[in-house]
Amino acid sequence: MNATVDVTAREETPPWLEYAAPIFTVLAALGVGALVLLVIDVNPIEAYSLMLVETPTSRQGQTDILITAVPLVLAGLAVYLPLKAGLFNIGAEGQLVFGALAGTWVGLNASLPGYALVPLMFLAAAGAGGLLAAIPAWLRAKWDINEIITSLLLSFIALELLSYAVRGPMKGATGNFPQTAQFSEAATLPTLYGRVHVGLAVALVLVVLTYVLMTQTRLGFEINFVGSNDEAAVQAGMSKYKLYLFVFVLGGAFAGIGGIGEIAGVQGRLRASFEPGYGFTAIPIALLGRGSAIKVLFAGLFFALLFTGGTTMEVFLGIPAALVDVIQALIILFLITGEFFKQYRVGLRFKRETPSTTANATRGDD
Amino acid sequence: MSEPPFLELDGILKQFPGVVANDHVDLRVKRGEIHGLLGENGAGKSTLMKILYGLYTQDSGTIYLDGERLELASPQDAIDAGIGMVHQHFQLIPRLSVAKNVVLGEREPASAFRVDGTSGGLLPESVRSNSIVQSLAQLFSLGLDVPKRRIQQLADQYGFDIDPDAKVWELGVGQQQRVEILKALYRDVDLLILDEPTAVLTPTEAEQLFDSLERLAAEGLSVIFITHKLTEVESVVDRVTILRDGENAGTAAVSDVSKADLAEMMVGREVLFDIERDGAERGEPVLELRNVGAESDRGIEALSGIDLTVREGEVVGVAGVSGNGQKELAEVTAGIRDVTAGSIRIGGSDLAGATPKEFVEKGISFVPEDRLRYGCAAELPILHNAVMKEFTDTRFGGKASLNYDELTAYAETLVEEFDVRGVDSVAETKAGDLSGGNLQKLILAREISRDPDLLIANQPTRGVDVGAIEFIREALLEQRQNGTGTLLISENLDEIMDLSDRILVIYEGEFVHETTPEAADRDRIGLEMNGGGAGNDTDDRPKRGSSRSPTPVATEHGAKRR
Amino acid sequence: MAGFIAGLLGATVSVATVFIFAGLGELIAERAGVLNLGVEGMMLGGALGGFVVTVLTESPWLGFCVGIGVGMLLAGIHAFLCVTLKANQVISGVMLTLLGTGLTTFYGAGWVDRSIDGFSEVTVPLVGQYLIQIPVIGEALFSNTPTDYIALALVPAVWYLLNRSNLGVELVSVGEDPEMADTMGVSVFKLRYLAVVIGGGFAGAAGAHLSLAFSQLWVPGMTAGRGWIAVALVIFAQWRPTRMLAGAYLFGMLDALQLRSQALSVSVGADTPFAGLINAALEFVMNAQIMSTYPYVATIMILSYAVIRTESSQLAVPSALLESYSRETD
Repeated sequence: MNATVDVTAREETPPWLEYAAPIFTVLAALGVGALVLLVIDVNPIEAYSLMLVETPTSRQGQTDILITAVPLVLAGLAVYLPLKAGLFNIGAEGQLVFGALAGTWVGLNASLPGYALVPLMFLAAAGAGGLLAAIPAWLRAKWDINEIITSLLLSFIALELLSYAVRGPMKGATGNFPQTAQFSEAATLPTLYGRVHVGLAVALVLVVLTYVLMTQTRLGFEINFVGSNDEAAVQAGMSKYKLYLFVFVLGGAFAGIGGIGEIAGVQGRLRASFEPGYGFTAIPIALLGRGSAIKVLFAGLFFALLFTGGTTMEVFLGIPAALVDVIQALIILFLITGEFFKQYRVGLRFKRETPSTTANATRGDD
Repeated sequence: MSEPPFLELDGILKQFPGVVANDHVDLRVKRGEIHGLLGENGAGKSTLMKILYGLYTQDSGTIYLDGERLELASPQDAIDAGIGMVHQHFQLIPRLSVAKNVVLGEREPASAFRVDGTSGGLLPESVRSNSIVQSLAQLFSLGLDVPKRRIQQLADQYGFDIDPDAKVWELGVGQQQRVEILKALYRDVDLLILDEPTAVLTPTEAEQLFDSLERLAAEGLSVIFITHKLTEVESVVDRVTILRDGENAGTAAVSDVSKADLAEMMVGREVLFDIERDGAERGEPVLELRNVGAESDRGIEALSGIDLTVREGEVVGVAGVSGNGQKELAEVTAGIRDVTAGSIRIGGSDLAGATPKEFVEKGISFVPEDRLRYGCAAELPILHNAVMKEFTDTRFGGKASLNYDELTAYAETLVEEFDVRGVDSVAETKAGDLSGGNLQKLILAREISRDPDLLIANQPTRGVDVGAIEFIREALLEQRQNGTGTLLISENLDEIMDLSDRILVIYEGEFVHETTPEAADRDRIGLEMNGGGAGNDTDDRPKRGSSRSPTPVATEHGAKRR
Repeated sequence: MAGFIAGLLGATVSVATVFIFAGLGELIAERAGVLNLGVEGMMLGGALGGFVVTVLTESPWLGFCVGIGVGMLLAGIHAFLCVTLKANQVISGVMLTLLGTGLTTFYGAGWVDRSIDGFSEVTVPLVGQYLIQIPVIGEALFSNTPTDYIALALVPAVWYLLNRSNLGVELVSVGEDPEMADTMGVSVFKLRYLAVVIGGGFAGAAGAHLSLAFSQLWVPGMTAGRGWIAVALVIFAQWRPTRMLAGAYLFGMLDALQLRSQALSVSVGADTPFAGLINAALEFVMNAQIMSTYPYVATIMILSYAVIRTESSQLAVPSALLESYSRETD
């Protein structure tokens, strides 16, 4: 008897699978995470209910979720836009950090009243993020140099530049810590309610703007088209060069805004340890939400929930942060396996070996 | 027949959804014979050979090689049986050397470990023949000495000038093809299939190839030579089998037939549609190509010295077999390929070197040959594809925004007017889900509705079902009445005859014949299309078969009417 | 000064070993067509695994082997996801790094204060005892841990494997044109699995070297981004093992310099024209963090130069890198 696994590509994903796949995969990930938790004597049910039920229902939890969502959603958009055009921006982390750097510099050095300073900080952050993103975009648009590598490497460069700035030119005057001075009142973002700062409003506005861009404008149409078939797009007269630059620069600007929002709205100063990892989490966020900017928003909120819930587990149950990272990584890994099942049908086939079938050479194993 | 054929294909049937590629096809090839397989594109030659090479499996029919029945499930089987193939797109790895490309997959161990008597005797026989030692040696060593000697020997034997250590990317195309041939020879094939081998060669290189093939045949190797070029058939082939529309259309010894006979068998006499073509007002030129030259993707000259004028209300038909520069001609005129020489005057200005966008704005519409690659975004809905070029128009929105309602209405109008079937909703159904014919109708709808000054249609009815074909041709004629100048490029001679006001025949990048439907001689056109024209008898080679004794087989050709 | 140079060279060699191991592993995987961005995570896994086993068994060799094993295990996940499930290679890799980092930080928390007797420095037999007597550089360059020597030996071994063995020819073909290789009877799946798992094993070895030889302790996140530098190094070396060696030493020196840059200050005399400007520039260029960017900057420049200047058919990039392969039938 011969058992072979038959993998055939699906014609199209049945609708039930579209929704079932992510759900099942998240459950599977949580399952594995439960095993991990059991090992350290934590009741997984308790842990998960803390993370998934109590966090979003408590006032504190909701606030934290919304705050964490700001940079996540913005970074998610930073990956989402290039993705629609067929490009992969994995340098969102660097763009975020670089934007935070520029915005902080403005915040600390420009003495203006709050209502002028804050917008200027945002502008600087957007500009810096966009500028950093323009490099991989231009290299790709002009010379077809792979943007995955260039955006990733630039991201690391940006992180080092942050470290340099914060230990050197921008180091706070008091003490000898690798951090900048504290933001003044004027530079701190006003809050909407509780601790939720104005960055949330900005993020929401940008989500809507992106949505409108993609669904209502000529530019959005072209981005969609070039992402689906760049050769046909060129034939139709669209400019691949301009579109590639646009999506990356705008994405970088968004990430930069997310960066300064975090600093000016939450942290109050830029520390050398500012490496939140949002830029990398943005990749699965963008993939989950690649249907529309609104979906990116929801995906971002979901991950904000994961992050916040993770912190809650840390605080209340003593579960180390590293483990939360592990569970998050598992969720994402399982999500991408879900993608596979959406695209392929897997079946098991049993074949009885007969003389004639063995006489024929088969196509080899897979 | 005095001796049984070396290769015998009996009643091969192969169907794909919607089309019968091989309809009970027979093929017989003798040992040491160069056998030509002749036919137009879509006649079924490639499919038949892919079956023979194990890439496809026939639905029914049998294959016999040297009396033994073959069941081929993979190319490996074919190679094991002694059948080798030289593809049009070379299966080579540019980064590796000739020798490595040739031995890839064979796992030749280093000389010290060889068990075939060619080892240096360094290791005792007992060690060498141990199976574990063999496995390890095959994996972790690479014996190139013996293979290289063999490659050099084969190369000398057949007159190839190859350096086994050269990296493949360093070699010219003709050389690369020789490496492909060496790959097959190295594996001791008895039958070699060559798929349109001269498509990428210069005339000199083609000559060299023919010499090599003759030497191979003289040594007893059987060769199947797929081509659509009549001069080649005359030069190098002993006997030829002609396929047409998936069926046998005749088999003959080359010395018994003329090029004209062959052309007739290939092209046949079919009258598909009787289309009324009224006189139309011929106006100003909308397109003037002067001395245009262009290169193919591989960097070989694909067009040279092209002069072409298309006027308002005129359909200029370019007949020819695919691969003679039509793709480049269409792309150059549509602005997505650069010219290497010459000018493109459209609406009064020279657009050579302009961006595709400028071409689009000048009122040029393009129905490309490869509709999935250049004509549409398959993953996007019909809506997006329908408005691919029109969405910038002001009637669809303001300066930056798009009115999707308007766009949807427009798309729906197109779908309805052009009878595009299979559309549930223009905003949801993906373009890639449409059948070939309907997708083509959509593309045509899009391009024609722009009311272009110049319409370029490259193989507009290829892969399209009969019902859609008629519709498309009517639409083209209607546009002609509206004053659009059309450049129609097609392999289908009937189509050209029915729709064109003037006919040009393209062969190897040049126009070789011009006529009108009224004055046209179909046989002459068929001849020119396949290189059999008076101007193409450039070779002085002795015709094949003069020194051999071929066995004539009765020719058959039928006139078909549908 | 002499002490500084000796220290610098010694560190260079040891850090270069990390880059050689991880870089060669990544090179093999990429040549087969699979991008592995999980190197950092696999290195950490190897570092912790090796360290723990060495603490428990007092055998650094055993620890080294286990470190390799951990790397291979993590790489096996990557291979399964990318080759069998055809998942996106970028995400899988990045997430494995996250996984590896998280797991090792978590499980390694209890091992931070432990100490071991890791690999001690040895010299090459016969000539070694003479070589180390060369003033200044002798001891630094010629007295190394066994892992350093293993890494060096791996360079020609990998070169041989890729260029002079059938396995290597098939591996390269799989990374260039998997469809064609499949037609020639080469098993694309098996080779890609093999390449990725070997790559992970090498990464594990790199990590084990870090914890057992370079610093002989365990600290969460001790790889400090060197895994990413290894990925950059493969591109910098244009996928060739010989250039990898040179690049590893170059990046290794930068790494070692960067750690020592505080001790080093270069300046021009105050009366040189533009002294202030030059000194500020020198300070900037020698700054530790700025120096950390050099490997990345160099890689971007080399990559751009290579792509712009080379014919697309001659590019060193494995043609099928990042492409999942599935056999299309009929």
